[in-house]
Amino acid sequence: MDSYKIMIQKKICVLGASGVGKTSLIKQYVEGIFSEKYLTSIGVKIDKKQVQCESHTVQFMLWDIEGIDRYCGFQPKYLRGAAAIIIVVDHTRAQSLIEGIEIYNLAKDVANIPAILAINKTDLSTEWHWEEDELAELSSPFSHTFCTSAKTGDNVELLFSTLALQLLSEAEQ
Amino acid sequence: MKLSLFKALGIIDCCIFKRIDEQHFETVYAESEWIDLLLPSARDNKRFTIPTDSPFLDDFLMQAEEFWEYADYGKIDSGVWNEEVENNELKLNAYASMDKGDCYIVIHNVIEQFQQRQKTLQLARELLLSNDKIVAQQEYVHQRLDDMLNQSSDLKSIQQPINEVIEKTDIGVAILSPNLQPISQNPALYSLFDAHLTRSETQPYKIILQLFEKQYPEFERVISTGSRWSGELFWLKPPGTGKWIKLSIYPVKADFQQITHWVFLVSDISQVKHLLQNNEKLTYYDALTDIPNRQYFWMQLEQSVSNALPFYVLYLDIKNFKRINEIHGHSRGDQIIKELVERITPHISEGDMFARIGGGEFAIIRQKTVTEQQCIDLGHKLIDAAVQPFYLPNGTHCEIGLNIGAASFPRDADDAETLMKFADLAVFNAKKASKSSVQFYSQELKEASQRIIELENALQSAITNHEFELFLQPMLDLTSGTILKAEALLRWNRLDGERIGPDEFIPIAEQTGLIVPIGKWVISRACEMISTLNHRGYSCKLSVNLSPRQISDRHLLEFIRGSIQNSHILPNQLELELTEGVLVDNYDKVQYLLTEVRKLGVSVSIDDFGTGYSSLSYLKKLPIDHIKIDRSFVQDLVSDENDKAIILAIIAMAHSLKLNVIAEGVETELQRNFLQLNHCNLAQGYLFSRPLPFAQFCDYLSASPTQKLITPSAPFPE
Repeated sequence: MDSYKIMIQKKICVLGASGVGKTSLIKQYVEGIFSEKYLTSIGVKIDKKQVQCESHTVQFMLWDIEGIDRYCGFQPKYLRGAAAIIIVVDHTRAQSLIEGIEIYNLAKDVANIPAILAINKTDLSTEWHWEEDELAELSSPFSHTFCTSAKTGDNVELLFSTLALQLLSEAEQ
Repeated sequence: MKLSLFKALGIIDCCIFKRIDEQHFETVYAESEWIDLLLPSARDNKRFTIPTDSPFLDDFLMQAEEFWEYADYGKIDSGVWNEEVENNELKLNAYASMDKGDCYIVIHNVIEQFQQRQKTLQLARELLLSNDKIVAQQEYVHQRLDDMLNQSSDLKSIQQPINEVIEKTDIGVAILSPNLQPISQNPALYSLFDAHLTRSETQPYKIILQLFEKQYPEFERVISTGSRWSGELFWLKPPGTGKWIKLSIYPVKADFQQITHWVFLVSDISQVKHLLQNNEKLTYYDALTDIPNRQYFWMQLEQSVSNALPFYVLYLDIKNFKRINEIHGHSRGDQIIKELVERITPHISEGDMFARIGGGEFAIIRQKTVTEQQCIDLGHKLIDAAVQPFYLPNGTHCEIGLNIGAASFPRDADDAETLMKFADLAVFNAKKASKSSVQFYSQELKEASQRIIELENALQSAITNHEFELFLQPMLDLTSGTILKAEALLRWNRLDGERIGPDEFIPIAEQTGLIVPIGKWVISRACEMISTLNHRGYSCKLSVNLSPRQISDRHLLEFIRGSIQNSHILPNQLELELTEGVLVDNYDKVQYLLTEVRKLGVSVSIDDFGTGYSSLSYLKKLPIDHIKIDRSFVQDLVSDENDKAIILAIIAMAHSLKLNVIAEGVETELQRNFLQLNHCNLAQGYLFSRPLPFAQFCDYLSASPTQKLITPSAPFPE
């Protein structure tokens, strides 16, 4: 019965270069909707969503953080108290992966927490030219890598449910 | 209350709370209705309690607690956050501050600033994404073509795969011959210029070349020096409105650095430009640094020329900026650019212009300068500012250099294009120096750079024309007088009879990368000579010099191994000489290379020891066999007590590390006696012999009474 489930709350920071689809990914996950129009995010927005696991309810506090680029630098203060980070990259833009890895490295310096790589926009054809082994090497520091589409919802639910299970299993240990 | 007045005037829209304890805050000022959505009790109950309904605010208040605990004054900023309450969207920013021991939270409604920032960044980021995409597409096509064109010089054999690449891409591609004649132009290029495939007068490559030549003073230099280039061109085709295009030019070079092809990549960026034109700030100012951009710079330059008052143009180029981006990433590269601009700006006088005119390129128009010296002084101040380390967020640091070229109006040129062309030429020359420098344009500089270009071209064919020759200078055992080895020294005799000194051509070869094939020729020729000496019955090791570029050549080790095997010589008959500078600058690569050559059996000596570098730890860590005392210490050792002391210290240190010592530049008996008395192992210099052509060196060996002979074991190869 749900009412007997233990509720745990986890702060998740969603990071990445601008225009990779962080807000869309969260919107798809939380509200199940997608908009084609690109509207750049400013600052931080927090969304909540509960995930039901076997004996627990995990409440995600999803921190959608403004894209990190030349106009907005990396802000370590937002990582305070975070249980995990999701680095979002866009597979139509090779540069977004390089930037995503740079952001991961900056985040790793301030918080030793699990990181998931979301290779987003898989509904569009791939326009980057990473070889499989290059991609495998770049994604090796991440606990999981998912190819997602905020538009179709592909693997979005799976990404968050995997993260919930990982955080629960770490909490039990 | 003043705050009410500010609010009434629309200057400020905030609420203020004073901390009572960790969980309670008292309302000091809260007249805005939006606060009811965020903190419903704040107005009625005059207080609020943590936790609130805003996770962001709660998180910030925890951060604020730490600040209040440790700080005595000042404030911290939460950053902008979005709060959605009952279908209302709030855009807020909070500050935690401390005043006379009291702790306050101030929450601002920043909806207007938010909208303004979003409007600006929406456009800026759309531009960034479009630009990213164009750059990535161009880089990818360039990489593919470069790989293919490097595979084979016979274009026919690779025509098919090239066509596959360029016909699929939607960026315009032109492949040209070294003399800029078309070899291949793809359909995307034709459609970009609205041209028909059959009409020769509208050949797209011709339009590109004309536009480039007309719009950029760098044209001549880029083509004559075979340089890479990237920039924007405007193509006006009446009655149309014209197109903005991004052009990237890449020379494809063979082993000897001769150009085999030119690859031109063209993308239509009119849409990006159109977006830019909607925002005047983005049209004239660089988005990253906020200083004037190339377009604004050119307008100002034209204006300065029409004012007809003397001025200087300084062209600043960050040394190896591409490499910095590759090593540290583009976002850190951007940070470095921003910080560099902050460092340079205070040195710019009022009325002068400082602009970013390319990725790592800047320009200054100095209106008030009257002397060249003042410009040079400014240049040095800018270099001093630039060479200070840049500290990166991950705790590492990075150092950059600055090349500065300058030209004077109207002394050097009286129009903007020529002036920039000369400043560009000056900076191109400044780049050749290993350290940051300021270079002024002059007629001599123009002639010198023409001479360099001529030598570069001649060097490309020097190996195939058999213009190089190895001279050998013997090194003798100071105790026995036996010639144990010889240093191989390269000489260049041009076909027209001109002899070019190594001091002149080695730096050019190093700069252009030609040192790699030339260095291979030296190794291979030295191995042949050793083989010949073996067959004549002489045991004499030869040492060859390695340059920094060669160390970076991934195939060097394999080449050395192959040369030794092909010549049927023993590995211990070959020695590699490296300068201290090479060791220090390329430590990791050198360590790998030296460890591997040591495994082969090749010995290593350190050249010019004692000049400039003080890091001695490598002597212990690296597999080194000999050190060569620089000639500058040997020269004055009889009269200069300091040089004497240095030599004694080097010998003692080397021997304690079990290294042999070779003295260079020994010219007198007194020098020889001192070195011998103090247990220096070997010596080289005019006292024994100047560098000799191979035949004379063989004569010298045969005339030497103490020379060690071996039994010839293989057929004579020459």
